[in-house]
Amino acid sequence: MNLRDFRLRVRALIAPRRVERELDEELAFHIERETQKLVATGLNLKDARARARVRFGSASLAAEECRDARGTAFIDTSVRDVLYALRSFRRTPTVALAIVGTVALGLGLVGAAFTIFNHMVFRVDAVRDPGALFAVERPRSGSSNRVRFTLPQYEALRRENDVFSDAFARLVDIDSRIDGRMMAGELVTGNFFEVLGVTAALGRTLTPADDVRQGGRQVIVLSHKGWSRLFANAPDIVGRSVIVSGFRYEIVGVMPERFRGLGLTPPDYWAPLSLLGQVRPIHAGREDSVAIDVIGRLKPGLSRKTALAGLAVWASGGGSVPSANERTANITLEPKRTVMPLSPEVLLAFAPLFFVFGLILMIGCANVANLLLARAVSRQREIGIRLSLGASRRRVIRQLLTESLLLALASAVCGFAIARVVLAATAYVFTRTMPPELAEMLSVTAPGTDWRVAVFLVAVALISTVLFGLMPALQATRLDLVRTVRGELTRDARPSRTRNALIVVQVTASALLLICAGIFLRSAMRSSTVDPGVRTADTVMVDIVNEPFRAAMVAAVTAEPSVRAVAASWPDLLGQPRAAFASTFAEATADKATAPKAASGSSADNSGTSNVAYRFVSPEYFSVLDIAVLKGRAFLEEESSSNAAVAVVSETVARQIWPNSDAVGQVLRLEPDPNSESVHGDPELARRALLERLTSIDPNMGMVLTLRTLGRLETYPLQVAFWLTVVLGGLALILTLSGIFSVLSYLVEQRRKERRSHRARRDDGGRRATRVIAIVACSRGGPCRRRRPGLGPRHVVDVGPRPRRGSATLSTSSTRWPTR
Amino acid sequence: MTRQPPPDILQGTLDLLILRTLQAEPMHGWAISERIQQISQDVLHVNQGSLYPALHRLEHRGWIEAEWGVSELGRRAKFYRLTASGRRQLAVAASEWERMTTAIGRVMKMA
Repeated sequence: MNLRDFRLRVRALIAPRRVERELDEELAFHIERETQKLVATGLNLKDARARARVRFGSASLAAEECRDARGTAFIDTSVRDVLYALRSFRRTPTVALAIVGTVALGLGLVGAAFTIFNHMVFRVDAVRDPGALFAVERPRSGSSNRVRFTLPQYEALRRENDVFSDAFARLVDIDSRIDGRMMAGELVTGNFFEVLGVTAALGRTLTPADDVRQGGRQVIVLSHKGWSRLFANAPDIVGRSVIVSGFRYEIVGVMPERFRGLGLTPPDYWAPLSLLGQVRPIHAGREDSVAIDVIGRLKPGLSRKTALAGLAVWASGGGSVPSANERTANITLEPKRTVMPLSPEVLLAFAPLFFVFGLILMIGCANVANLLLARAVSRQREIGIRLSLGASRRRVIRQLLTESLLLALASAVCGFAIARVVLAATAYVFTRTMPPELAEMLSVTAPGTDWRVAVFLVAVALISTVLFGLMPALQATRLDLVRTVRGELTRDARPSRTRNALIVVQVTASALLLICAGIFLRSAMRSSTVDPGVRTADTVMVDIVNEPFRAAMVAAVTAEPSVRAVAASWPDLLGQPRAAFASTFAEATADKATAPKAASGSSADNSGTSNVAYRFVSPEYFSVLDIAVLKGRAFLEEESSSNAAVAVVSETVARQIWPNSDAVGQVLRLEPDPNSESVHGDPELARRALLERLTSIDPNMGMVLTLRTLGRLETYPLQVAFWLTVVLGGLALILTLSGIFSVLSYLVEQRRKERRSHRARRDDGGRRATRVIAIVACSRGGPCRRRRPGLGPRHVVDVGPRPRRGSATLSTSSTRWPTR
Repeated sequence: MTRQPPPDILQGTLDLLILRTLQAEPMHGWAISERIQQISQDVLHVNQGSLYPALHRLEHRGWIEAEWGVSELGRRAKFYRLTASGRRQLAVAASEWERMTTAIGRVMKMA
């Protein structure tokens, strides 16, 4: 396309009337000139003009071809198609609305699922070159666990390797109460922000100088989320100090909102890793053995493969690498570009979500297809007339597809809005139904959208409407012309078989969803009624994190009037007795755990010794939690103060380890180090009272949980799944029913019309029917000048976009009825 | 269904004839068809229905350009003029034509 061509095309688009006029004038001039030439040879004017016209041939055909030469035909036709489609929507607004509504609903759900997927898999954090960031991991062979690095190992890795330009270490999920509220923190090495290449929005970030061992500065950097959640975006935040675990920390900066710290959502704050002993007193003095995550930035131009090879060399040669008893596989590098890498596993994890939501979309689309099929029957006449006027089949299909396209776009826009609403509503429902203790720590917000979601929605809308719109379109244009124009509907165009198949699919899909809902309901009910074996109804758990305050806390709990009895355990009831820690005991360790879960977590080892989960408890533990001792006895009061070598095992463990003998009398080590207290009373009341009383002693104390909440934590996911499937299944059912209903009512209406016209024709020999058409022709077609019976239908039915090629046929007939 | 006028000039040759005719001076559509008819001594009749589409096509390709002027009879008419690129195209198409006709002529005589 050259510049001149472009200019001409633009002109034809901008000033179509003027271009048309010029074309007419040009052609008229030719005929005029020819006429004059003929007159000059002696013909009279009238004959000359007639002969000139004949010589020229069809002026409209020539004009048509000139228009084609313009190259704007495609746009012209498209515009006309769109206008025609809009007109047909206005004629049947309910059908258009039903289609858009149904598809948009399904799209909204799929869009919501995709938004979450996009959030996790595609969204890139606002850091410098995230593609070069990799987490260094060592998966344990034959297990999903991995061996994590320790601080000295990290330092060795940083010092000795030649694949990373730099690497940082971090310890995530540090929950602590700051100024009375739970805050999620992350401990990071001083070069964390430097490696990521981010700068603070307010103040400064952490620097290596903040993170010096034994001399780390007590500073924290807030995330934007933490800033707004806990300090209401106070502008003078930098320089303020907060108490973390009894130590005063200065807030030195706030990170920008876009920075999410390589996670799904950012933590509330970052603090130097060297202060681990302060933040987590339990780790004080043994910081070197704490497991940390290591993330590195590859040197520019280095591929993951090369880097892996380099790390393998380092791992096999270095002395600082894990000792032989840790069965480690090779080092792997996990991409940290997005929250989750786009791997088959991740896709598999998301597949059910997309499947379920896609099912709803499919049901909706089947509805639309059904409706369009039903409508195709009634549009046969219109389409038949257009075809008989010379419109090509391709042209008519194109027109029908334009309709589908418009519907798709409208659905995509509505679907986008619905997706937002669905996500916001879900977040709201989550926040409201979550156990209050959890809501304190978690904030559920709807994930944001970006262009990927928009593109996805439009693409899916296009695919679905074209797929489901094309079938009826093809069916509608496969017509026996003569019979259709005569008003007879062809039998085989009645798409009852397709319709039945669609309905079968819809009902199957809704049934599938409802069955799933039933299964989830049963699981939720069973897990909520099952007896956990401990007294949950009126028990509260207090988490004591700060050792210095323990004595005072216990005293306060005992003094609380609503508390009847106190017991202690370590680890607390919330934390599962850690199997990894238990495995460091080489011999058979006995289980004192109470919850069935803890017992079932134990497993027999090949070597004959058993790894079992364990928990240290005070003598009151069994009576407070109402745990019956089947054999032997519970702990005695004096055994709590002495180093008495006694243990209580669960029935399951006893059966597993000593299947044939009495379990009483096995080895166990006890270090009375209770960290958790249990009390009896009205749980929620006591919880609040305790929280109030205890925070006055230690403002940075841990969680206070009722055991009922603990139980709910297990059933909650099942409940969520249940409600999700119930809502979706109900939606599917409603959609299916409404689809069947709309199609049936459409067909009934259709039949009634047919029958009425049949009766009319039978009653007075077809005359009335003809008259009806004639009258409509006059009222629609303006002044009834050309009242010829044959022309009737042309006025009754909107012929729609004037078919290009067809107009040539029309113009041949115009010789009989000159238009000018 | 559409009534196609029988082609009386070989497809493609019409473009060449138009370009050649316009080489001398700008002309309007009627004059072009007249000139072709005259010079060919009434052998070649340009079908009017294909003349104007051809003119518009050539205009879009940038080989000729149109301008409104006053005709010999004093009426407004659209005059077409050869552009620089049209002149180049004419040279190429003319030599191609030459080659073709001599080849065909040779075959007709010798074979």
